[in-house]
Amino acid sequence: MHINPMRELFFDPLARIGLVMLAAIFLMAAFAPLLCANSPDDYTGQIFMRPSSGHLLGTDSMGQDIWSRLLYGARTSLAVAVAVAVLSASLSVFIGATSALMGGLYETFWMRVVDALTSIPTIIVMILVAAYLRPSLMLLILLLSAFFWPGGARIVRSQSLSLIERMHISAALTFGSGRRQILANHILPDLSPIVFAMMIQDARRAVFMEAGLAFLGVSDPTMISWGKMMHQALAFTYLDVWQWWLLPTGLALSLTLMGLSFIGFSLETAMNPRLKGNLLRREG
Amino acid sequence: MLKIIGLKTSFGETEILRGIDLELDERESIALVGESGAGKTTLGLSIMGLVSGSVSGEILFNGRNLLKISEDDFRNLRGKELAMVFQNTEDALDPVCRIDDQIAEAILVHHGQSRKNIKAAVLKLLMSVGLNENKALAYPHQLSGGERQRVLIAMALANDPDVLILDEPTASLDALTKADILKLFRSVINCRISLVITHDISMARALTQKMAVLYAGRIVEIGRTEEMVTNPRHPYTRGLIRSYPGMTTTRDLQGIPGRMAQGLDGCPFHERCTQAIEICNCLVPQLREIDERLIACHRGGIVPLLEIRNLGMSFDSCSVLRGVSLTLFEGETLALVGESGSGKTTLSKIIMGLFEQDSGEILLEGQNVNKRDASFYRRVQMIFQNPKESVSHRMNVLDTVMEPLNVQKMGSKEERQRAAKEALRHVELSNDSDFLKKYPHQLSGGEVQRVAIARALALSPKLLIADEPTSALDPSVQAKILKLLMNLQEKMGLAILFVTHDIALARKVSDRMAVMLKGQIVETGATNEVLSHPQHPYTRRLVECAAAASLGMETGESQEESMAANNFKIKAEDFIIGKRPILKIEDY
Repeated sequence: MHINPMRELFFDPLARIGLVMLAAIFLMAAFAPLLCANSPDDYTGQIFMRPSSGHLLGTDSMGQDIWSRLLYGARTSLAVAVAVAVLSASLSVFIGATSALMGGLYETFWMRVVDALTSIPTIIVMILVAAYLRPSLMLLILLLSAFFWPGGARIVRSQSLSLIERMHISAALTFGSGRRQILANHILPDLSPIVFAMMIQDARRAVFMEAGLAFLGVSDPTMISWGKMMHQALAFTYLDVWQWWLLPTGLALSLTLMGLSFIGFSLETAMNPRLKGNLLRREG
Repeated sequence: MLKIIGLKTSFGETEILRGIDLELDERESIALVGESGAGKTTLGLSIMGLVSGSVSGEILFNGRNLLKISEDDFRNLRGKELAMVFQNTEDALDPVCRIDDQIAEAILVHHGQSRKNIKAAVLKLLMSVGLNENKALAYPHQLSGGERQRVLIAMALANDPDVLILDEPTASLDALTKADILKLFRSVINCRISLVITHDISMARALTQKMAVLYAGRIVEIGRTEEMVTNPRHPYTRGLIRSYPGMTTTRDLQGIPGRMAQGLDGCPFHERCTQAIEICNCLVPQLREIDERLIACHRGGIVPLLEIRNLGMSFDSCSVLRGVSLTLFEGETLALVGESGSGKTTLSKIIMGLFEQDSGEILLEGQNVNKRDASFYRRVQMIFQNPKESVSHRMNVLDTVMEPLNVQKMGSKEERQRAAKEALRHVELSNDSDFLKKYPHQLSGGEVQRVAIARALALSPKLLIADEPTSALDPSVQAKILKLLMNLQEKMGLAILFVTHDIALARKVSDRMAVMLKGQIVETGATNEVLSHPQHPYTRRLVECAAAASLGMETGESQEESMAANNFKIKAEDFIIGKRPILKIEDY
C-alpha cells in the first residue's frame, strides 16, 4: 500500500497542533533580533526587574533581559535538535543499510558496536567527558549523535533486511543493479518515512538532553540555554521572579518537546496501520 | 531419377529461381512448400520445360540434361515421362471438348493407337480416378470442381509418367472432396517420382516423404516431412508451420513479419529473420547437412538460446530441483507447467541469478553463465508474478520503465526516455506526460503488469522469463497481454519461458511444453503432442483436470489425488436436511 506519511501529517489534528507549536518556537528563534530590543548578553545594571515595556519579562539575577534570553535560547535548542537529528540519522542510515546489504563480518561488527553503545548510560559519559574536555556546543552535538545513532541503525537495518526480500528489489537485481544502485534507488526512498520519524525522535531527545545537561551545569557557560535559565531561576523561587523567569522558560521547553512528540506520535500512527484509530479521526 | 543442379530461372530482369539443387530417387515424393512468390510453380514449370523465361543450370532426368535436348525430344518426354497436374482446374480443360476426347488426346500424342483401343483406355483411366463412365461424354462445365480435378489427374496419368508434378492440387476443394482426392493421390504417387507443390502442410504430411521449403527462389531447408513439421529447424520453416492452421494446432496462429523481398544480398530471409547476424546480409548461406537435415542458414538453423543442464538445487535438506535439463530455442515459447511447489519459480529465479544452483550449468547462447554481469541482464529479463510487488510503489511509470535503462547506462537521458516511451507504446499504454507521472497505486492491476512488461522489454531482451505473468489479471486483460507477448515474439524473435500452472493458457501460447513434478521435468515435447498424447501419468492427470475444469465436469477418482482431498474427507451424512449444516472434517 502506498502511504505518504508526510501528507498524512497535515490531516492529523494532533500533528497539526504539534506543527503549530514547533512553528511558534521556530519563528521565535528566526526573528529573535526583531522581537526584542535588548541583546541577551547586555547587562542592564538592574536585577530582578518586573516585566515592563522595555523588558517584557523583566531581568534576571545578573540584570540580563529574560525575554531576549528566552528567544535566543530557542536558537540553541533548535540548532542542537537539527544538527543531532541530521548527524545521527545519517549515521544510522549509512551503518544500518550497509550492514543489511553487506552482511558478514561487517554487519556483525557494527551490530556489536550498536549493542555496546546502547548499553552505556548517556548522562554519566557526558559528565565525564565534560570533566576532561571543555564543554562546547559542537562537542555536545557530536556526543549526542554518537549516542543516538545506534538505536536508529538497528531499525534501519531490520527494515532494510525486510525490504531486500521485496519483489521490486529482486526485479532491480534482474536489470543488473549493483548494491549502490539498489541502496539509492530502492532502499533509501522506502526508508524515508521511517528515517523522518527517527529524526523527529532524535530531535526531541536532543532538545531534552541539551536542556537537561545545561540544567546540571554540564555545558558551555557562555551558551544561552533554557536548561541553564531554569537552573538559575530555581535558586530564586522564594522571590516573585519565577513567574516571569522559570515559568516562561519551562513553557517554551515544554512546547518544543510536545510539538516534536505530537509529530512523532502522528508519524508512527501513520506508518503503523495497527495503531490507527478509526477512520474518522484521520479524516477530521 | 531426377537431379537438379544450380537451376536458375528468370523472366527478363527478375530472377525467380536462384540456384536450386534437388535430388530425387525412384519412387521418392517431395513437397515443395513456401509462401506465394517463392518460386514453387516456376520450379515445376521449369522441370516441365514450360517456362517462357531463360533457364540455366542442369535438370538431369535419367542421365539426360533436359535443358540441352531439342524441343522435339522434350515434347516426346512431356506428358509421357513427365506430367503435371495444373493449379487451376477452371482453365486447364478445354471448355468446348468432351472429357473423353481431352484424355484421348493426351494418349494419342504419344501413341499412334486406334480410336477403339483408346476409348477403352480412357474409360479405364476414368475408372481409376474414381469417375463414372457416363462422365466421359460430359463437357468440363458439367463437372464439379472435384470431378474436374480427377479428370486432370487422369490426363496426367494417361501415359504412366515417371515424374508427376502436382501444383496446388486441392487448393479449391472442400474438405470431403479433398479427402477423396488425397486418397487418390496417395495411390497415384506411389510408384513414381512426385513433386507436390502446396502450402497445405497437412497435405504435404499425408502425401510425401520429403519436404523442401522454398524462399525467394532458394531452398532453405530439406528433410523428412514428418520431422520437418514437428520440429522445423529453419526460422522460415517454423514461421510457415506457425501460420498454418492444423486441427491439432493449439497455439494461436502467427504470421511471419515483413514481406518476401526478391534479390536481396546475403541470405534471402535475413530481413525477416529474428536471429540474423552480420554475415547474413552479405553472404548467401549454402545448403548443408546438419543433423540429418539440409539447412541453408549461417547459424545452423534456429539457435538454442538457453540450455539448462542437469540443474540441482535444494533449500537445506529439502531438494527443490533435481537434474533439470531444458533447451529453449530462439523465438519460441516454452511453457513450464506443473502444480505449485514443483519448483517452477525456483528454476526461473536460478536462471535470473536470484538463487544459486547447487549443481548443473546454464548456458546462454552457448556460453556458460557463471557470473551474471550487465550484458547477461541485457539479454535476459523476467516478468514477475505479482505486478504490485515487483514494481516499486515509490517510482512513477516513467522512472519504473527507465530503471533498467539507467542501470545499464544506455545512451543519453533523452534516448532512455525515448526508449521507455517506445516500450510503453509496445504494451499499448499511453505515453503522455500525465500517465508517465502516475504511481502504481493509481493504476489498475493490468496496467501495472503492462508497465512491468514494458520495463522488462525496455532493454529488448532475447529471452523473457514470464512467471505467471497474468495470474493476477482478469481474463480480458490477460488475453490482451498474451496477445501482446506473442506479437512481440513475432516482431522481435523473443524467446519466452512461460511459467504457469494453467494448462489451458499454456496450450494457447506455447510451441513446446515441459511438465514439472517435484523438481523434475517428467515430460517435454511439442505442446499439441504433449496434450493429445501425454506419456507420463502426471501429465495425463494434469491434462484431464484442466479439460474437466473447462468443461465443468468432475474428475474421476485417481490414485494421485491431491493431498488436501486425501487428508480431509467430508462425510455426506454430516449434512442433515432441516438442520443447520455442519462441516465436519475428519482427519484420516
